Amino acid sequence: MVDAENNKMEWSVTRRDVLLAAAAGLAIGCGFLLVPKRYFRMPQRSQAFVGKVEHYQLDIAGTISRGIRELGISPVEIKGKRVLLKPNLVETALGAPHINTHPLVLRGAIEAFLGLGASTVMVAEGPGHRRDTLAVYEESGLADVLIEDRIRFHDLNYITGYELPNAGRQSSMRILTFPGLFKEVDWIVSVAKMKTHHWAGVTLSMKNLFGVMPGIYYGWPKNVLHREGIENSILDINATLKPHFAIVDGIVGMEGDGPIMGEPKRVGVLVMGQNLAAVDATCCRIMGIDPYKVSYLERADNWLGPISETAIQQRGEAIASVQTNFGLIEQIPAQRGIRLT
Amino acid sequence: MSLSSLNQIAQKELSRRFLPEGGVAEQSRGQFRTDATAWGILAYGSAGGRYETLERHRARLIREQEGDGSLGVDKGHRDSYWPTALAILAWQNSPVSQSAQSLAIRFLLESTGVHSPKNPDAPWAHDTSLRGWPWIKDTHSWIEPTALCLMALRATGHGEHERVSEAIRMMLNRQLPHGGWNYGNTLMFGKELHPMPESTGAGLAGLAGVVSHEKVARSLEYLQGEADRLRTPISLGWTLLGLAAWGSWPANSLALVERCLANQSRYGEYDTSALCLLLLGALAGEKGNNVPLLVNSSGRRSPALVVS
Repeated sequence: MVDAENNKMEWSVTRRDVLLAAAAGLAIGCGFLLVPKRYFRMPQRSQAFVGKVEHYQLDIAGTISRGIRELGISPVEIKGKRVLLKPNLVETALGAPHINTHPLVLRGAIEAFLGLGASTVMVAEGPGHRRDTLAVYEESGLADVLIEDRIRFHDLNYITGYELPNAGRQSSMRILTFPGLFKEVDWIVSVAKMKTHHWAGVTLSMKNLFGVMPGIYYGWPKNVLHREGIENSILDINATLKPHFAIVDGIVGMEGDGPIMGEPKRVGVLVMGQNLAAVDATCCRIMGIDPYKVSYLERADNWLGPISETAIQQRGEAIASVQTNFGLIEQIPAQRGIRLT
Repeated sequence: MSLSSLNQIAQKELSRRFLPEGGVAEQSRGQFRTDATAWGILAYGSAGGRYETLERHRARLIREQEGDGSLGVDKGHRDSYWPTALAILAWQNSPVSQSAQSLAIRFLLESTGVHSPKNPDAPWAHDTSLRGWPWIKDTHSWIEPTALCLMALRATGHGEHERVSEAIRMMLNRQLPHGGWNYGNTLMFGKELHPMPESTGAGLAGLAGVVSHEKVARSLEYLQGEADRLRTPISLGWTLLGLAAWGSWPANSLALVERCLANQSRYGEYDTSALCLLLLGALAGEKGNNVPLLVNSSGRRSPALVVS
């Protein structure tokens, strides 16, 4: 209260006090600004299914169907839908089938989705290393399988694109260009491979989506995405595209110097779910890797999905029953110190 | 398959993709694209197509050219300027295209990818300071776009330019130790990466006539060993072009091309660019330097003079 007569205040405020208060407010405000936004996010919850499949000749379609059922996806959600399966086809090398998603996993996914009432299932990929997508399609063995099953394959590298505003805003890309084909499908399913990666730490269902970006706009390799930061680009693509489902081929994965030069790693699992971050975090734990130490997963936490073990309701096999440490290479910075302890 | 039947196939297949307003579609009943148009002009011209038709498509490319001389893959994507080198080749021997071609050449000579001083501690082994050309603006230089730019600049008499000499050094620096090229990395974290036929073919076609045989002997050997097993148009097309450029076009090339064309029943109709690359590879053995990609007489020099 100000006593105008005496020009006094019951409690006086000097200029120094005002400046101190402003400085304190600024410091607190800056403190909040410095703390990453993810610490203020609302916790999210999701589910992941782990199915044991010891080798590729076993009933993969049955395991995927069971997974979809146990994840609580009703047939109504799939019936009549046009489903696009996006495998991980990178390049081929003699004696290294573990580079790419195994063709029989795709056959299993096709059977499962058609069995659940999907109107169409197609497979589409735009490899990042090879200009000749058809060569990878052929040499990976996928062509034999899809032609026998009468399933259409689309080369995403050459499809004229359409633009969407970048919903992730992690990189400086204002827009992202996706293949026009995506406007004609209802479900996009990332059918990835369980691999360690020399730039990203791991490549699973989220990183697999680099392959949807057409080479005619992003190059070979998709160097635009590298220049923008691999982690930034993974997050931007996933945030913008919002894929619907993930299946990770961990029957035989790759450890060490992935995604190309690593060694095969037999795990005997398929991991799946509707939330890609949750699926990838589950894969990491199976691989003996801490998802919180994989930069892009940690940044995705409670934004694109939960990665905390307690926030992911586990279906199928327990992680502990299938967990096997993937070899990591100390000289590779992205793999250094990411082991689950 | 004879040369005349190949010419007929090329003319018939490509005519189905020509657009009435000029330009070539990415597929029959598809949309216009600059890369498809440039490849279409090169293949249709090599197959003896009509000059008036070629000029109509060249005019479309001129209409698509940006003010700085570049051509993006489509109008909305100026940064994807890799078709510029193809357009330069497509405009060759066309007087009315000369100013557009000159502008595009200036663009290539003034543009470069992103480069940095070589770092001996980096996980990659190649010399990142050597400039070639990128696929997309503001990215690194890679093999195929650099090979295309080399061919375009040499075909138009710029073989002596310092950018050409540097690009030749860049291509040799990116050659894999055991032969061949991939998209443009050699060793990563100490491991040699795999070669790829299409990149190797492009690399060899780009360097023919400007480096000695011994510089690329391992790459030629690798590619000669690959040819018979190739069933897809981009790999086979670049392989035949690369081998033809070094006088090693396989005797069974036309049979390989015939098999590859027949594989459209397996894969579906080929994209225009892929189809044209295959046709050019087929024509290269018969026509040699009359295939535009391999025209380099004005830039041809004694191999020993260029790269030591």
